[in-house]
Order: sequence, then C-alpha cells, then structure tokens
Amino acid sequence: MTEVKKTYKHYVDGKFVRSESGKVYAIDLKNEKYEIPLTSKKDLRDAVTSSKAGFTKWNSLTMYNKSQILYRLSEMIEGNKESYIILLQDHGLRKNEAKNDIENSINTIIWYAGLVDKWEQLTGNLNPVAGEYFNISHQEPIGVTFTLNSNSISLDDLVKSFLPALTVGCSVINFSEKNAVIALKLSEDINNSDFPAGSLNIIAGKFENIVEDVGGHVEIKHAAIYDDISKESKTIIGEKGSESVKRISFQPPTSGLSSILPFIETKTVWHPKGK
Amino acid sequence: MNNWEYAESIESEKIVKIEKKYGHFINGEFVSPNSKKYLDTISPSSEEVLSSISIGNEKDVDFAVNAAKEGLKQWSKTSPSERSKYLFKLARLIQERSREFAVLESLDGGKPIKESRDFDLPQVAQNFFYYAGWADKIDLAWGSEISKPYGVVGQIIPWNFPLLMLSWKVAPALATGNTVVLKPAETTPLTALLFAELCDEVGLPKGVFNLITGDGTTGSELVNHKDIKKIAFTGSTSVGKYIQKSLAGRDVGLTLELGGKAANIVYNDAALDEAVEGVVNGIFFNQGHVCCAGSRLLVQEDIHDIFISKLEKRMQTLRVGNPLDKNTDIGAINSKDQLDKITNLVNEGVSDGGELFQIECELPKNGFWFKPSLFTGVQANYKIATEEIFGPVLTTLTFRTPDEAVEIANNTEYGLSAGIWTEKGSKILWTADRLDAGVIWANTFNKFDPASPFGGYKESGFGREGGRHGLLSYIKASS
Repeated sequence: MTEVKKTYKHYVDGKFVRSESGKVYAIDLKNEKYEIPLTSKKDLRDAVTSSKAGFTKWNSLTMYNKSQILYRLSEMIEGNKESYIILLQDHGLRKNEAKNDIENSINTIIWYAGLVDKWEQLTGNLNPVAGEYFNISHQEPIGVTFTLNSNSISLDDLVKSFLPALTVGCSVINFSEKNAVIALKLSEDINNSDFPAGSLNIIAGKFENIVEDVGGHVEIKHAAIYDDISKESKTIIGEKGSESVKRISFQPPTSGLSSILPFIETKTVWHPKGK
Repeated sequence: MNNWEYAESIESEKIVKIEKKYGHFINGEFVSPNSKKYLDTISPSSEEVLSSISIGNEKDVDFAVNAAKEGLKQWSKTSPSERSKYLFKLARLIQERSREFAVLESLDGGKPIKESRDFDLPQVAQNFFYYAGWADKIDLAWGSEISKPYGVVGQIIPWNFPLLMLSWKVAPALATGNTVVLKPAETTPLTALLFAELCDEVGLPKGVFNLITGDGTTGSELVNHKDIKKIAFTGSTSVGKYIQKSLAGRDVGLTLELGGKAANIVYNDAALDEAVEGVVNGIFFNQGHVCCAGSRLLVQEDIHDIFISKLEKRMQTLRVGNPLDKNTDIGAINSKDQLDKITNLVNEGVSDGGELFQIECELPKNGFWFKPSLFTGVQANYKIATEEIFGPVLTTLTFRTPDEAVEIANNTEYGLSAGIWTEKGSKILWTADRLDAGVIWANTFNKFDPASPFGGYKESGFGREGGRHGLLSYIKASS
C-alpha cells in the first residue's frame, strides 16, 4: 500500500484551504497517492463570495497589468517544468508527451497574456449608424465564471479552461475532478504570480455534488463546461440556470478569438454630434 | 377665438387589403392549418375584427420545420452573393410598399402612423439592406473560425414592433445561411403575413422563410420541436426563462431579448429642455410598449421640482388618439390584457403611496387607451419602480450623487438600456462604464440603427441583434 504523498488543499481567495466538510477523495497515480479536499456546497458558496470580490479587483487592474500577471504565470511554470513533467508521467504520460504538454501550456498562457490588451480591439467597433451620432460597441466581462475543466491529463487543456475568461476580466472558479492533482499543483504557481485574491480560485471534488448549485447560484454569472458531461447534468444546469437567465456554455472553443466570446457582454453607447 | 380648431389628418385605410382569413406560410405557399382553429386579430383602437389567423398546432409546426429543413438544402447551395441579392430585393420591395405596411401595422397594433411610417418601416427596410451586404462577408466579420450557420432557426417575436422585430430576426438569420420558422405575436400577425407574400414575390426558394401563426401554445411547440437548431426570442423575461428551461439539456442555440426597467439619469448639469424631450420620448414612444423604455426617471434631487414641472407641461401637449391620425403621439394600448396589466400596476402604485399625474385628455370610446402618466414620491421598493409596466407610465426616483445614481440604476435584475443626461463628457463616460446595460443613450434616448447592436445584460437576456455583433446570434464556431 502506497502512502499518501500529499494532501493538497484548494486554492480559494489567495489561500490554501481544506474543505469545510473535512472530506477528501483519493487520486491514485502510478507511483503516488493523493488526497484531495472534496468540495461541498458550502465550499462552492465560499468560492463564489471570494470570486465576486476577486472580480472587482481583477477587472479594475489595467489590461497591461493583467497581461503581465498572466505572463508571470508562464514564467513560474517554466521554472518548475521538471516537476510538472514528473507529475504528468505519474499520470501515465510518456516523458516526451508530458514535456510537449507543459511547453504547449506555456505557449498557451503567453498567447493569452498577449491578448489581454488587444482583444477589445478585435471585438469592439464604431458602428456606422445613419445619423449624426457617435456610436460605439465595446465589451465588458460577464463576471464571476465557473468553469469545469476538461478533466484530461493535460496542463495545456487545464489552462485553456480558465484563460479565455480571465483574459477578458472575469474571475474564475476552476473545478477539477480526475485531474485535481495537476490543478492544485498549478495553484501554487498561481499563488506566486500576483493574481489578486479571488480572481482565480481552484477547487476540486465530484461535480455531481455541486451541479445543481452551479446552475442555481445567481452570483455565478456564467457556467462554462469544458468537460463532456451527461445530458442529465446539462439539463440540471440549464433548468436551474434559467431562473436567473444564466449564461451557460457547453464545451466552448478553446483557441482563437472565438474562445473569449462567451465571456463578454457587448455594451453600445450612443451620443449625438452637434455644434 | 384665437385658438385654431384641431383638424385631424387621417391616413387612409384603403391602401391595405386584408383577407378574411389567413393560413400559415409554409414551403412557399399559404396553407390551411391542420388544427382547423383560428383566432381573431382585432384593431386595438376600435376593437373591430380585422381578420382571422390560424392557430398552429404540433402538426403545423412539424410541417413548417420540415419545410425549413428541406429549404436548407437549397439555401446552403445558394451562393452567399445570391443570398445577399434576395435580401436586397426584399428591402426594395418593403420600401416600395412601406405605406401599406405602415397603415397595416398601425391598424393591427395601435401604434401612431407617424411612428410606423417614419420609424418602423424605414428601419425594417434598412435592416434588410444592412444584413443583405453581410451575406457574402461572413468570414470577414469574425474570422473564418466563426462562420457556420445553425440550420433551422425558430424565431418568436413580440407585438410591440411586429415587422421591425421580424426584420431583426429574419434578415441576419437568412444572411448567414439559416432557414427560418417565424412565429409572430397573436395580436399583431398581419404585417408578417404580408411580408410572406413578398418572399414569394422575390422568388425566395421554398422553405427558406416559413411563417406559423398562433398563440403561446404554438410558440411552445416550436421551441420543443426536435429538429430546431436555434431559438431566437424577443418578449417578456418570464417567457424567456420558460424557453431557456425548456431547452435545458438540448443542443439548441438560444438568444433572448427580454424585458427592461431602464434608468434614465438626469444630472443637474443636463440641458434640461433637451432632457425633458428625451425623457418623454424615452417612455412615451410606442405607448411605452418598448422593452428598452426609459421607465425609471432618475433625477438629481436639487433639480427635481423644476424638472418635474417642465416634464408635466410637456406631457400635457401629447396627443392621444386614433393611430391613423398623423398628429397622434400616443396610440392605442395593444390589447385588453395589456391595458388591464398597466391599470393594475398603476392602481397599485397609487395605493402604495405614489403621487400620480396624468394628462388631461379625452380618450376614444372604443378601443384600449391609457393616459400618459407620471409617478413622483415613489419609494424604490414600490412595484411601479421595479416591475416592467410596458405602458405609458413613468416612475420618478431621486439621487444625490453620481455613485448613488449608478447604484439605483443597477439595482434591478434587468440590464437592457439606460440613459444619461449631462453636459459634462467625463461624467457621461464615467457613468456609462458603470451601468449594467447593453445599450446606453447619452443625451439622447430610444435611438436604433441596423448597424448598432442591441441586447441586454443580466435578466434582460443574452445575445445581440444588429450590427456586426448581431451576426454572432446566427453563426457558430466551426470545429
């Protein structure tokens, strides 16, 4: 019997915390065994409270500042590359597969870091209305976003499940199940990258335990489900979400400009021209 | 006597020819309903029956959706530039027959002819022109990664701007290569039925545009049809929630344009006379049957009294009456149901303690009418300050500081539109950044344009109509 290597904690509000329930679940890897806190309904609510404050903080930073924080995360991963490769190998990946995945994840983060101060030039525009008006459409982040990541054994897939929302200024609660060890290891580097507390919360557990709350919590403004979940779970999120006209995306795009579109609201402002 | 006698100027009804009875428009022709059921559509200004329209049942909807599926085969083989030309031709035909459409719209819906003639119809034609030109430029709009149509699209539209809402839905959907099953509102189906004739006239391939009339049950059948790939709905937030719930767990696209309770913020440094005009237009345009109406007047405390007295004086000049009279400012309330709803909310506002001002005017004997109304002395928790009234009723609240104005403005589940009145540019931008609303009018109100995206934050819905952003409602990322 392998010993428990490490009991990871969740990363909420800039702090490493256990589940309020005290419950854990086990993830058995090839060489090591981990215990992961099991998110309770109360844990989710706490994460949302943190994300709400985190949204205000993250969104009020300049685009330049946000861009640098994301770039900083890529530097942190670069510095700890070897330990990620070993962890992915322990999840069953071959060494070169693990190395490629980590390098891809670094490239992905750098791509989004460079998009932070540009996306609005791609999504917004002046509208040529028929009249003497200045009319402009620009975009704002939708707000607190819950993302269920794809649960694949890939750091690259993991970062692709929170970067699109973060890039446009949303705060994110990222939820993992099978790949929680990777996500919670990443939270250590997130913690060293100057993210404001609550802007990116990393929690884990059984999604089925909280699916109803993800749909029903009115402060979660957007639920983005990158994993392929059951029709039953989709129905629950959709039905509960409809009570507050929640934005919900199932397996949204993970690259290109289309990846950020689910997370923005378009605001159009008119003003007359005159002498 | 110095005053000139009032001389009415009535637009002739003779230009429109209304059939006694209409079928659905499916697969390029009018067909009798499988349901064999009809309902009367009346003129809300006279209560006269104008025509009988078909009530679509499950089989009717199935027939229409299947026609749209077949139509998709042809439409997806039609080149984008050819699709574009169909839409340009539709725009031209609408322009040519706009007087007929305008009279029909005012007859069936009760809106003043000066609005249907000078606002609705020009916008409808322009909207088809605008989206016609996008049809062969979809790849340029958002990059080629986002360019595929959904397929068969179900569209459900409201009664406040019947033909305009049709154009907002149909033009971008067809431009992007979808085919359509449209359901107009039960009280205002006639202009949509006339539009169907135009589709036939321009030779639009069969099944590309299908029209199914009826009531809420018909809409529900459309939402629940298994072959619908996307639903676009404009209407109340409660029905929008019902649709979102109905579609839960299904792979069906959805855009919702729902209710509003917009704040129209008047700062003490506004140009007051202009602001009065804007506030009047904001709430009394189209009898207040406008989802983005500026129904909450937020006026800075120190100018409250002067502003209200100017506003009441201006309101008194509004002319309420026959929608076909070219002088009419406020037409008929769209239906008895809507009149009852407005009346109940206003009565509740009075019993809650709100101070009600209504203009002095004579209302016609027949039809549904409501005097332009203004509430002052209102507490933020009164129903008239929180619920969408969807009628010519303005509710006044006051604020002291810009921060407080923003807080009150955002203190609602809705987030469709807002207005800002100040002569100070930096204050406009500061306020606009903080308002949770999809459309913000600064020193103007209720301005629309096909090139300008429209749609809400929060419970006012999601997705945009109009402009480059409106295309996103009908295309999806290609994998």
